[in-house]
Amino acid sequence: MIKFIESIGDRTINSLNSIYEALKFTSLCLIHMVNPKSYNPAMRMVLVKQIYFTAVTILPLFIFMASIFGSVIIGMVIVVATQYSLQDNIGSIIVTFVINEFSPFFTALLISLRSGTAVNTEIAIMNVNQELNTLKEYDIDLIDYLFLPRIISGVISVTFLSILFALIMLSSGYLFTLFYMGMDLHIYTALLLNAVEVKDLIVLLFKSIAFGFVIMLIPIYSGFKTANSYSAIPISVLNGMVKLFIAIFFIEVLALLLQSL
Amino acid sequence: MVENIALLKEVQEFMPTKEAQEEGLALLSKLKLSHIGMQRVAQCKSVELFYVMFIRAMMSKKSHIIIDMPYTIIHNLQEIEKVISNIEILNDSKKNIFILDTLNHKIRYKSYNNLEITSNNSSSSIGLDT
Repeated sequence: MIKFIESIGDRTINSLNSIYEALKFTSLCLIHMVNPKSYNPAMRMVLVKQIYFTAVTILPLFIFMASIFGSVIIGMVIVVATQYSLQDNIGSIIVTFVINEFSPFFTALLISLRSGTAVNTEIAIMNVNQELNTLKEYDIDLIDYLFLPRIISGVISVTFLSILFALIMLSSGYLFTLFYMGMDLHIYTALLLNAVEVKDLIVLLFKSIAFGFVIMLIPIYSGFKTANSYSAIPISVLNGMVKLFIAIFFIEVLALLLQSL
Repeated sequence: MVENIALLKEVQEFMPTKEAQEEGLALLSKLKLSHIGMQRVAQCKSVELFYVMFIRAMMSKKSHIIIDMPYTIIHNLQEIEKVISNIEILNDSKKNIFILDTLNHKIRYKSYNNLEITSNNSSSSIGLDT
């Protein structure tokens, strides 16, 4: 019985310790983010490369998927709205669904799968190969040189791609309304412009920034904490991705709660 | 390689990337190795990687550079003299450079008279102050 209680105590202490370590790491990254000295030429070079790898190289696939999903999902929304006699609210339904929910969430999933895993593996391999120690030996701040460019590129890329996704989705949605409902472009744009509110754009920005931040921060932290063996790398990526998906759903729920206030 | 060499100047001295890379290339060209400037690790020979590591260490503000067992870093190294003379060509800033090696390589350093031999119960080593 005492051993059982001790094991619960051990787990609780370990969990609290892990949470404390993760929060400490997050706050350190945030402090470095607002410190102008962190932005040295090498860091800026890494940042540009990271934005290129995260946001630019994905564009062809991203535009293709946004177009396909845009017409299919907006089509489904319109069909369902028509079935339930909600034609008058189609504009606000589309805006809420596309701008507030689908665009940031889908972008976050896509970037997590593509860049989150890559960053987690990269940092874990650098850790196992002692490259991180070499950088430390040369007095190179790991947060400034390795972590910060990736986190900032995550925030910039997810925000930019979410906005792009929403624009492409709404544009391709027009094609569906044109062929299915015979809706004129002017009517469609007026419908959307009347429905969109500043609050929707703030929600899109808030969610994109939060998603971008965790999509890079959690894989970096997971890779950084990898045990010193090659067999620990897949475990690190697996744990990082599970934590990342929990964080994405947590942000999603938090945003919904904030919107309902 | 040149990105790797330039890193320390960029981070520690906020030197612009282009300027730091030019400085790195200038040091590589002293050894007629400027062609490896744009190559990646896998494309370079071990001796080329050794010089890149050395030049990177030269970029550091630290005044001492320790080369630990060069024969394990450079594959099939026949004569250490060539390497040491290249190190002297590069060492403009007059950093203190030490080579540490194991006693079984002592014969390879026979042309140097400032050899220091250290030994204890478990191991022996030699040191060379270039």
